[in-house]
Amino acid sequence: MTKWITIAKHEFAYNVRRKEFLFVTFGLPLLMFALIGIPVLLGASSITPEDITIGYVDKTGTFEGNFISYAGEELAKNDLLEGKITHFFVIPEDYKTTGSIEIFSTKSRTQGSIEGEIKGFLLDNLLKGDNKELVERVKNPIKSEYFTLNEKGESGKDDLSGLLISIAFAFFFMLSIFTSSNFLLQGVVEEKENRVMEILLSSVSHRDLLTGKIFGLGAVGLAQVFIWQVMGIAILSSGPVALLLKGISISIPLLIFASGYFILGYLVFACIMAGVGAIATTSREGQQIAGIFTMIGAMPLIISQLILSKPDSIISMMFSYFPLTSPITMIMRISTGNVQYYEVVLSLIILTVSILVIIEMSVKIFRASLLMYGKKPTISELIKYVR
Amino acid sequence: MEKTVEVSNVSKSFNGQTVVKDISFEIAPGEIFGLIGPNGAGKTTIIRMLLDIIRPDSGEIKILGSASPEETKDLIGYLPEERGLYRRLTVMDSLLYLGALKNYQSKKKVVELLERMEMLQHKDKKLSELSKGMQQKIQLIAAICHDPQFIILDEPFSGLDPVNMKLVKEMIVELGKEGKTILISTHMMDQVERMCSRIFMMHRGGGVLYGSVSEIKSRFGKNTVFLEFDGELENIAGMVKKINYSGNYAELILKDGIDSQEVLKTIVRDGRINRFEVSAPSLNEIFIQVVEGS
Repeated sequence: MTKWITIAKHEFAYNVRRKEFLFVTFGLPLLMFALIGIPVLLGASSITPEDITIGYVDKTGTFEGNFISYAGEELAKNDLLEGKITHFFVIPEDYKTTGSIEIFSTKSRTQGSIEGEIKGFLLDNLLKGDNKELVERVKNPIKSEYFTLNEKGESGKDDLSGLLISIAFAFFFMLSIFTSSNFLLQGVVEEKENRVMEILLSSVSHRDLLTGKIFGLGAVGLAQVFIWQVMGIAILSSGPVALLLKGISISIPLLIFASGYFILGYLVFACIMAGVGAIATTSREGQQIAGIFTMIGAMPLIISQLILSKPDSIISMMFSYFPLTSPITMIMRISTGNVQYYEVVLSLIILTVSILVIIEMSVKIFRASLLMYGKKPTISELIKYVR
Repeated sequence: MEKTVEVSNVSKSFNGQTVVKDISFEIAPGEIFGLIGPNGAGKTTIIRMLLDIIRPDSGEIKILGSASPEETKDLIGYLPEERGLYRRLTVMDSLLYLGALKNYQSKKKVVELLERMEMLQHKDKKLSELSKGMQQKIQLIAAICHDPQFIILDEPFSGLDPVNMKLVKEMIVELGKEGKTILISTHMMDQVERMCSRIFMMHRGGGVLYGSVSEIKSRFGKNTVFLEFDGELENIAGMVKKINYSGNYAELILKDGIDSQEVLKTIVRDGRINRFEVSAPSLNEIFIQVVEGS
């Protein structure tokens, strides 16, 4: 009775060696990293702090600081051309009334960070005599946190990280479903085409075969997400990317819910794909039918505004409980805090029950239509099989 | 003694079309049994029902005394008509995996069989790199590497060259001597004539003949002459019902009441006789007679 485990192990080993799997798992994140990360890295490294040496020509005679002071523009220009400094700026006599300064450099564009440094220098001088705290406040007047009140008057912290996690969840969820449940579909159609199916079914029951496949490929999907997480943490915690994401806290309960919904949601799709694989006569046809289900799965992303702003609307409710859409919908709602516990429990129960029901239906369809090579059953025939 | 296979009144139809109708037969332990009939007679459907890949609409199937397929699947070996193996796996990996699915994974046994089939040097190759005949032999090993009690071979000789055909035949005979029960399904009826003790002959989903090969043949009488000759058979038209030619070899079905010696006398005048054998008709001819008579 442990044959499904043998099948699951085989499916796992067979599919993680697929080129498609290796590409999506390792290639795609690297490609994304290359597209997003490299410009950031290049941008940050093209002018690193030690490369910047700023000079100034002060015509008012009141500014001082840790920049190099020049008596006249000609001297500063010479040093700039010789590369001793990278920038210099001129503070005209009427600066305090006009606020205008002239910045010179050998490059055509001046980075924002240069302006920031000059601004700090000017503020330090303008507010000379005031206390340090006030100067800091003027330089950095707002550190914001947003709160939203619900009907009961309780306040929930508006956390950007929650939204980010739900979007990341939705993205990885869809990607995983697209890849590994597609493997399942391909696997079934492939085995039908090369007639391995007959050999397998002479050794194991339809149910063992299907269960083994679903769990084996489920493990493939989880392995993929695990690798992504490791790569993600490695990329995020290294270098300048970490600075961009500083201050995002990831809540542990949300991660646990996300994992639960991920696994259950994945299984729902996997069971459906197995059924689709049994009906489809070619991979292409299978993918077309499967596409309908993946589209439905992606629906919550399309109407995410509605779900987040009106969680009590009928559509949001339907999406929260319908097994194909509930994983993404519920994670969105949990991450933004507008969800009741009973809703979470109810949606998890519905997911679990639908997995069992769909496996049962898929087994029946599997048994009835598997070896009808080259012939696709009609909808009325399908209904007959399922009964 | 308990029968290895008991098929009682089994029928199956697909989309309203009857593929197998009211079939009953039994196979005794240790028997080499032939399931024969032309393409499309319903042989493969019966085999799939024996394996519980599909279920009969009515009737009962018992294998090794049990009606529960879960209990018996591990004890059955199956060579399907359409070959099915993972193309991207190596020979060794495929065989070990299929063995594991039968709860009997033995590397020693697999190596032994690969050696016996002259395939050991290919064990680390992918299936897709092998020729059709080689894949066929691997498929046969897959059917028997878990030491099954009952072996089902669907068209075991298709696609084999004479050397490999001999190898496979010897293997089947050897398995029979080991006491395995073997079901051979084929449309090449004369192939099984010499190997099987009993046969079940099918035509259009129904059974037309069932029994031991010698008994069936004697039922059709010794009215056939097998002939090998050089020349033309011109003057015997009045004596025979039918002549099945194949090159300078012929099977003559004699008319009722004609003495085979008269035929011999006549044809000696027309040419050179290399072989003259009075016998029962071939299974092929019997099949044709049965189908035409019905």
